[in-house]
Amino acid sequence: MFNYIIKRFFQSLITLMVVITIVFALLRLMPEEGYFGEGYEKLDEQQREAILTQMGLRDPLHKQLLDFYKQLLRGDLGKSIIYRPKVDISIILKDKIPYSLRFGLSAMALSLLIGLPLGILMALNHRGFWDKLGTAYIVFINAVPAAIYYLFIQVYVTGIFKIPMLYSESNPLSWILPTISMSLGSTASYAMWMRRYMLDEMNKDYVKLAKAKGLSGPRIMLSHVLRNAFVPMVQYLPSAILYTIAGSIYIESLYSIPGMGGLLVTAIQRQDNTLVQALVLIYSSIGIFGLFLGDILMALLDPRIKLSKKAGAR
Amino acid sequence: MRRLIIFSLIIAIILSGCSNKAVEEKAEYRWVYSGEVTTLNYLVTSSTNEFGLVANLVDSLIDYDSYGVVQPALATYWSVSDDNQVWTFKLREGVKWYTYEGEEYAEVTAQDFVDALKYILDPANESRTANIVYSVIKNAEKYYNGEITDFDLVGVKAVDKYTLQYTLEKPVPYFLSMVTYVCFFPVNGQFLEEVGEEFGTDNTKILYNGAYILEVFEPQNRRVLVKNENYWDKDNVHIERLVATYNSEATTLAPELFLRGEVDYADISSSILSEWMNDPERSKVIRPNRTNSYSYFYAFNFDPQFAEEYEPDNWKRAVNNRNFRKAIFHAFDRKAAMLTQEPYNPENRIHNTITPKAFVDLNGTDYTQLEPLAEISNRDSFDEAKALEYKERAMEELEGIVSFPVKVLMPYNTGSTDWANRAQVIEQQLENLLGLDFIDVIIEPRPPTGFLQEVRRAGQFALLECNWGPDYADPETYTDPFVPTGTYNKPHLAEGYTESNGKTRYENLVNAAKAELVDLEKRLTLFAEAEAFLINEAFVIPYAVGGGGYVASRLNPFESAYSPFGVSSERYKGQHLLETPMDTDTFNELLSKWEVERSKALKNAK
Repeated sequence: MFNYIIKRFFQSLITLMVVITIVFALLRLMPEEGYFGEGYEKLDEQQREAILTQMGLRDPLHKQLLDFYKQLLRGDLGKSIIYRPKVDISIILKDKIPYSLRFGLSAMALSLLIGLPLGILMALNHRGFWDKLGTAYIVFINAVPAAIYYLFIQVYVTGIFKIPMLYSESNPLSWILPTISMSLGSTASYAMWMRRYMLDEMNKDYVKLAKAKGLSGPRIMLSHVLRNAFVPMVQYLPSAILYTIAGSIYIESLYSIPGMGGLLVTAIQRQDNTLVQALVLIYSSIGIFGLFLGDILMALLDPRIKLSKKAGAR
Repeated sequence: MRRLIIFSLIIAIILSGCSNKAVEEKAEYRWVYSGEVTTLNYLVTSSTNEFGLVANLVDSLIDYDSYGVVQPALATYWSVSDDNQVWTFKLREGVKWYTYEGEEYAEVTAQDFVDALKYILDPANESRTANIVYSVIKNAEKYYNGEITDFDLVGVKAVDKYTLQYTLEKPVPYFLSMVTYVCFFPVNGQFLEEVGEEFGTDNTKILYNGAYILEVFEPQNRRVLVKNENYWDKDNVHIERLVATYNSEATTLAPELFLRGEVDYADISSSILSEWMNDPERSKVIRPNRTNSYSYFYAFNFDPQFAEEYEPDNWKRAVNNRNFRKAIFHAFDRKAAMLTQEPYNPENRIHNTITPKAFVDLNGTDYTQLEPLAEISNRDSFDEAKALEYKERAMEELEGIVSFPVKVLMPYNTGSTDWANRAQVIEQQLENLLGLDFIDVIIEPRPPTGFLQEVRRAGQFALLECNWGPDYADPETYTDPFVPTGTYNKPHLAEGYTESNGKTRYENLVNAAKAELVDLEKRLTLFAEAEAFLINEAFVIPYAVGGGGYVASRLNPFESAYSPFGVSSERYKGQHLLETPMDTDTFNELLSKWEVERSKALKNAK
């Protein structure tokens, strides 16, 4: 296990470096006009050069890349150059992450609380009322673009229940709708997959054997079917939890929540290279780490899963 | 007896309920915005968004009143030397810098202005306005590019605590208008050293000497400005609190929020304007917005660099023919084009000269009404008969030289919603009037990323809508795009205009005007001549000024400081919060009144 972790860690580092280098290079292919915003016309050649030099954009590419890695090793994410010039990126993130985390985690908790039991219910009630109801819900969520039902909820539910349309720190009522909206998609997802894994398990031979042996229905479900069905589910959970910091771009813009949602898009549009690099670094790390954690969790839950290749394995 | 008391109490309550036009002093003005400021460092930024905020926090040497007449602000007295190169300002004594908590930090002194320029002229600070400073201040450019390293040689000096002196490279008649711009704002040197790189990164990292203090600054969330109780001109500040909330959907939500009474200002975009105009209730709360000094014009390219399929050589031969240009000049129906942006009031923005009106005046006469330009200003260029006349002459003269129809490549930026519509309207309109035997207008969508660099600067257009904003209050600023160093349509490459000194006629006219640094009347008249030449030879087609549109607002725009250039017009000082939003009729009434009074005020000011 330990060897596996070490190997995996180094693999992740290499993946990360490849991603960073590619993004780094792509960013520097963008037109220079974009670094100056609306004042571009009024600057003269001298000023433009001075500004680009200060931003480090006139150094050769490999030097820029090396400087970036050196800075990272010092634990410094760098300073934003355009979004909020001279401000530490860690400060910008520190202000925004709590909002996204708060909503993301609550939405996730809500979707697990509703989605998992719903999936189990649907599997147990196979082809029954609950199954049909759940399926209708899942199909609706997958077919209708999220933007539509988010907007619908914001405009109509706020009207009917007299809830404020925009998020406000001081009014807890305004926190409900964004959370519910954010959880809708995941609820459908968890329900669907839970149902599917459980049905798969329920059709396996050992379940028939357990029934033949005389074990009670609930006992079979809980200690055997559920336990086994949960294994493939669990690999997604760490990534999902970690990705909540990325925020939901659409919900946050609709409800005016100052979270991380639109940050990456804005940073790219404004060509704030340092901010984009920092965010890409963070999100890639999360993705890689999340997958890794998921694999470990799966191995922990299911003793049959061996992560490393055994010598002479068939 | 009891009845009498109750009755009088009721009367008293009713009477106290009657409010007057302007709300009392505890007024709060709220709005939503979708463009967040990136920094509060006013020595570095050139973004309207940013200096619009800072204008309320830091004062400049002079300011303008609501008619555009210069008023003392941080400076109480100023004079210029006989050679017109040394400007001396006497500062108002006792003005203090305050921290964001309202604590006194230091007094505002002449040294603050010196420290500000030192910071700006250090290229490491990446100031976007450094070039404005070094275009006028002696030795500033040499210091900026490292030719000299002793800052004492630069033309700014604190003669004593309250006396500031600027020495210019050469006389600059419009210098006074330049000191209202952010690059000439003061900064406290000691504070700047203390905070170092973090200057302006948030509201705790700047000092305030203006009408408001930024109490709350939460980027992408909200900001709150509160009246500076220790402001030297505090009696003129009537709105106590300014609250701005961020919402990326502000353009869509603001009108709704205005109707619900949650904000006091909303831009009414052209997409919902007709809905509002047709609603009897809602049409009463909106009014036109004032125009600004951004100038929009259509430029003929004399240095085409576009693809062969659009026949650049053919275009080049055609555009060098005066009659060809004049045909298009008179055929262009600007009102039809403007209707795509301003369906209700196109005349508000259509403009006949490059330099906007109410920008610069000569003893009360507007620059655009000076003799060389008056005729152009007072008639619409759109003239079908003339257009067809010039078309005939052009086709005669260019027969065998140019192949008709001439392809006219007209790109547009897809990032602008109404530009696509406008391009189509213009294409149809020009082709219908002049005929497809004469021109074939080809509109080309181009992406917003790098539009200026890829399209205009790269010469990839035959006819293009361009715009230019002023850098100071003098018509010289509107000649910058058209002189050989300009990056617009290179009219100096037009054939047949070279004079004996090797330069083109327009260049010579402009240089003669630029050389006149003392006699203001002569200077303005010479610029008017140069501009009249530019327009009469149809090198460009003046189109419109910026601004306009409709807004729902509880502010009276005629109360605010008026400055066609600079930051004064962004100040909330002097404005009252209206009880009810101003409607269109009142606005038009007040506008006519304002124009008359401005003319009087400017005359009296001399």
